[in-house]
Amino acid sequence: MGRDPAQIPTSFGKELRACLRCSLVKTYNQFTDSGCENCPFFNMDQDSDRVLDCTTPNFSGVIASMDPTGSWAARWQRIGKFVPGCYALSVTGVLPEEMAAICEYNNVRYVPRS
Amino acid sequence: MGYKKYSDDEEENDDVEEEAEDVDDEEEEVEEEDEEEEEERSRKRKYKGSQFIDDVAEEDDDEDEEEEAPRKRRHRRASAFIDDEVAVASDDEEEEIEGEDDFIQDEGVEMIEEEDRGRKHHRSMLPEDDQQENVEDLEKFIQQRYGRHEYEEFEEAETTDVEQQALLPSVKDPKLWMVKCLPGHEREASICLMQKFMDMDMQGKPLLIKSAIALDHLKGYLYVESEKEAYVREAIRGMRMISQREVKLVPIKEMTDVLSVEKKSVDIDQDTWVRVKNGVYKGDLAKVVDVDHVRQRATIKLIPRVDLQVLALKMNEGLQKGGKDADMKNKPRPAPRFINKQELQDLKISVDTKRDPNHAGEYFEFFGGMQFKDGYLYKGVSLKSIDSNGVVPSFDELQKFQKPTDEGGTDSMGLPTALASKRRGQFVKGDAVIVVQGDLKNLMGYVEKVDEDDVYVRPKDKELKGSTLAFKDRQLCKFFKTGDHVKVVAGTHEGATGMIVRVDLGSVVILSDTTKEDLKVFTANIVESSEVTSGLNKLGDYELHDLVLLDQSTVGVIVRVEKDSCQVLKGTPDRAEVLTVKLRDMRKKLFDRNTNAQDRDSNVISLKDIVRVVEGPFKGREGPVEHINRGILFIHDRHHLENGGFLCVRGMWCVALGGSRNRLDRGGRQAHNNNFNGGFQAPMNYLQSPRRSPHPFHQGPGGHGGSTFGGRQMGRRRDHGLVGTTAKIRTGPFKGYRGRVVDATDHDVRIELESQMKVVTVRRDQLSDAVGSQYHNGGGASYRESPRYGAGSETPLHPSRTPMHPAFMTPMRDPSATPIHDGMRTPMRDRAWNPHTAMNTPLRDSSWDDANPSTWGNSGTPQYQPGTPGGRQYEAPTPGGRGWANTPTGSFSEAGTPSESSGPSYGIPASPYLIGTPGGPPMTPGVASYLPSTPGGQPMTPGTGGLDPTSPALGMGGLEIENKWGLPEIVVTVRKAGEEAQVGVIQEAMPDGTCRIALGSSGEGDMIIATHAELELVVPKKTDRIKIVSGELRRSTGKLIGIDGADGIVKMDDTLDIKILDMSSLGKMAAN
Repeated sequence: MGRDPAQIPTSFGKELRACLRCSLVKTYNQFTDSGCENCPFFNMDQDSDRVLDCTTPNFSGVIASMDPTGSWAARWQRIGKFVPGCYALSVTGVLPEEMAAICEYNNVRYVPRS
Repeated sequence: MGYKKYSDDEEENDDVEEEAEDVDDEEEEVEEEDEEEEEERSRKRKYKGSQFIDDVAEEDDDEDEEEEAPRKRRHRRASAFIDDEVAVASDDEEEEIEGEDDFIQDEGVEMIEEEDRGRKHHRSMLPEDDQQENVEDLEKFIQQRYGRHEYEEFEEAETTDVEQQALLPSVKDPKLWMVKCLPGHEREASICLMQKFMDMDMQGKPLLIKSAIALDHLKGYLYVESEKEAYVREAIRGMRMISQREVKLVPIKEMTDVLSVEKKSVDIDQDTWVRVKNGVYKGDLAKVVDVDHVRQRATIKLIPRVDLQVLALKMNEGLQKGGKDADMKNKPRPAPRFINKQELQDLKISVDTKRDPNHAGEYFEFFGGMQFKDGYLYKGVSLKSIDSNGVVPSFDELQKFQKPTDEGGTDSMGLPTALASKRRGQFVKGDAVIVVQGDLKNLMGYVEKVDEDDVYVRPKDKELKGSTLAFKDRQLCKFFKTGDHVKVVAGTHEGATGMIVRVDLGSVVILSDTTKEDLKVFTANIVESSEVTSGLNKLGDYELHDLVLLDQSTVGVIVRVEKDSCQVLKGTPDRAEVLTVKLRDMRKKLFDRNTNAQDRDSNVISLKDIVRVVEGPFKGREGPVEHINRGILFIHDRHHLENGGFLCVRGMWCVALGGSRNRLDRGGRQAHNNNFNGGFQAPMNYLQSPRRSPHPFHQGPGGHGGSTFGGRQMGRRRDHGLVGTTAKIRTGPFKGYRGRVVDATDHDVRIELESQMKVVTVRRDQLSDAVGSQYHNGGGASYRESPRYGAGSETPLHPSRTPMHPAFMTPMRDPSATPIHDGMRTPMRDRAWNPHTAMNTPLRDSSWDDANPSTWGNSGTPQYQPGTPGGRQYEAPTPGGRGWANTPTGSFSEAGTPSESSGPSYGIPASPYLIGTPGGPPMTPGVASYLPSTPGGQPMTPGTGGLDPTSPALGMGGLEIENKWGLPEIVVTVRKAGEEAQVGVIQEAMPDGTCRIALGSSGEGDMIIATHAELELVVPKKTDRIKIVSGELRRSTGKLIGIDGADGIVKMDDTLDIKILDMSSLGKMAAN
């Protein structure tokens, strides 16, 4: 495996949230504890309020991306360059402007996934 | 191998004897799990999941909860498991390792610590980042650390829709396989596959699957992406929730469909309009006050459906329960109503007023376990129980939601948010729009192009001209100006058109073309259009302006048709009451074609008669009667702006206008009219029942048949003409009795006998022919008398109902047209037929004297001359007479062969007429003037006068004009005696009443001279250019933009005004 995989959700219920930028799916606690593997610049693990800003429970579908580079589905979902892990198929909502600014600041382009 | 053990554990227990303890533990767990209850199972599953879940998570736990012994144990064991596997992979001393717990523990802890260190190092980057206050350093660091990512991601992020197409799967790509899994466990299955993949990867036996996809909307299936089916089978082996049997290949073409998930549009936000999905408030509109996305709950604001009385009862009864729930179920849900404090006090419901910390500490009223504010109910609900998808509150709902006490839109958020949930595709090219959101707010422009996401707008602003800007549709709002003519394309008023009279934010008020009422519609639902439609005019079997029965005693006229309901003007004359009635609430459609009512002067009013309201709230209104029901009239006054121009009045409040209906002079004039009307009616009846054609022979010198005759020939319906007359019974048990006719059909007559207080039914043929002859000797003379009994006023009605009229009328309008000119009927008859009176006058001596001397000799024409309003109609005869005089031969010959000129339907009435009158031939010219072949312009004109008393068109003064209406450029049909009709264009109208006409439809042919009598206007068609030949506007030109029955809608050239003029005053202009 090329890269360290992201955390795998520890539950399958309501506490799952998806990152608004990369659509990575983890539980709320996982986000607060270790942030988002693809979007470390959000520093969610430092500030749990960020988790609320940057992730949403409004997503649908889950794709477990095991081999992002080799997977057509991952490429199609625009998660081909992200770490292996569980992602949402579609995420509703957009990043708050402030967070979008952080993306920009870190030279990461933000394309809403909804 | 290690994995095999792992999977076999779950399937075959016998196989694992030599397995390590912890594995056995696992096995036990699995067994336990199978036996346990559902909830238990889920807990276990989590527990089990955590065993093989990412070590990172566990490390966290280890770090944070070192002191928590039980948990630690679990973790250790889990780690040991992992360790075991690793050990299996690395060396073969599995038994040694697994043999002792202590050892394993140590090993495990060591492993964890080892791994942890690595992880810590890995993750320690981030905390350090934060400590670095220097942003530049941070940036630098990030770029170093994630530079590669960034670049890639950036590239990836640029994927546009087009490039997305380039990503379409090809044969080289891995394939998608569909496997079955336990319904409801799709996500779990995919996540477990991920976990398994990582575990196996760590063991150095990676699964060769690329991804696993669980769709929310597809229950019981999971997609696995892999190159080969065997890999998929390998991957799912041992997974409990995945069926091992079925692995189906998804065709390449369908692969994208799998992933094109419909966007979950649960976009519930503050101020979103939602609908409640279940419970008492099911379907009710609510507004989101607050959303907690984490807890998936929302506070919504609703109009309470609380039955306060029940609540009060409940509260006073205290905690008496039991059976109440059953009660609740059977009860209809309370109507939505705002809570009124006064009411609460009256019902002695105790109300707590408290601050709610959840809502910015605002004060709320609490009672009955509910929370209220300003009369609204505030309710906490799960996000799942409300639906925001496609919620488009109707105007009515919004208005209701707006508390009556709210002064003008405190809830103003309502409209824009309502607009936010508008449907896609509302903009079309050319729409004028205004930007309502973003930097370019208030920029105006026109839509240039619309695609999936964006609307491209060409700004109106000069400086920006030439550029096209893209906007999201939510940033735009259609822009309309007052005075724009628009069409409603959605909502309750769909299909209606009208002019904008007011523009508000997000909504406009339009003045409907049909109903002349104000409609409030959302701008999103309208498009600019020059089209004029009546909107919807049909709902089920009901059409606009139908008379419908609402309940046993209520009738109404449909004045507007909406999407699923109608607005019905109720038959309550005292006040205009409009109800919105659903289709199912309408009992049936009423046909009142043969009904009539009486006006103030006891004149009988039937449909299409023009009446003037002289009493009641609508005093002064006038118009044709559209419907009659139990003495109540529905009048259509086009100057009345409400309810589509419909008024409901009592018959007794009205006076019938025009024609013989005016009873100012109740004397012989009426009788005279009757006589002639009756006389001419006879032939008409033959149209209806031609089989009776021999009758006139039997009838003898027919004209005298009068109303009796006419009445008998009536079809199978009530013959009100006879009602009120006095009849004598000729034969049968009541022979010799005399009485008043109270009811009559074409077979039977009910007579109230004079000598006995009794009403008897006798066959019509048992009646004495000479009804009322005891008063008069001559049959014809009876008509003079009949008005006394009311018959006079009724008789004239017959013609108006007779289908004959149109047939007579039609030729005048347009020889080829079908007989549909309803509007013209009644007045026309009076006007049209009265000329006969005049024309007949010279014939009187020769043919009619014998039959009815009294009528003709004494009370003939002269008597009418002094008549006041009626006078008008008596002048009308003159042109008729003149027409006859002017073209004695031509008309005559034409009339002699009616069938040739106007077809059989015309011929039939004509013949009996001729037969019935001894003086047939001399009469003919009179008839002829109504034939298409005759100089028909003249009779038509007086008809006009009678038709619409309100129109300025023609009065008595029109006579001269009528005679010399010819104007240059008008297209006419020239009918010279003995020649074929030709079309020509008037070049010049001579003062002597003749016209110079160039033949040919555009005047290219020979010049001829013709008298007006030989000319006939060519009826203009829609969009024809016209010249007005009579009335105040004579000589004005315009364009005919519409035809409404007998009225033409004309756009004047000079003033650009729209005028409604009688068609007969419009001459078609030659095309240049």
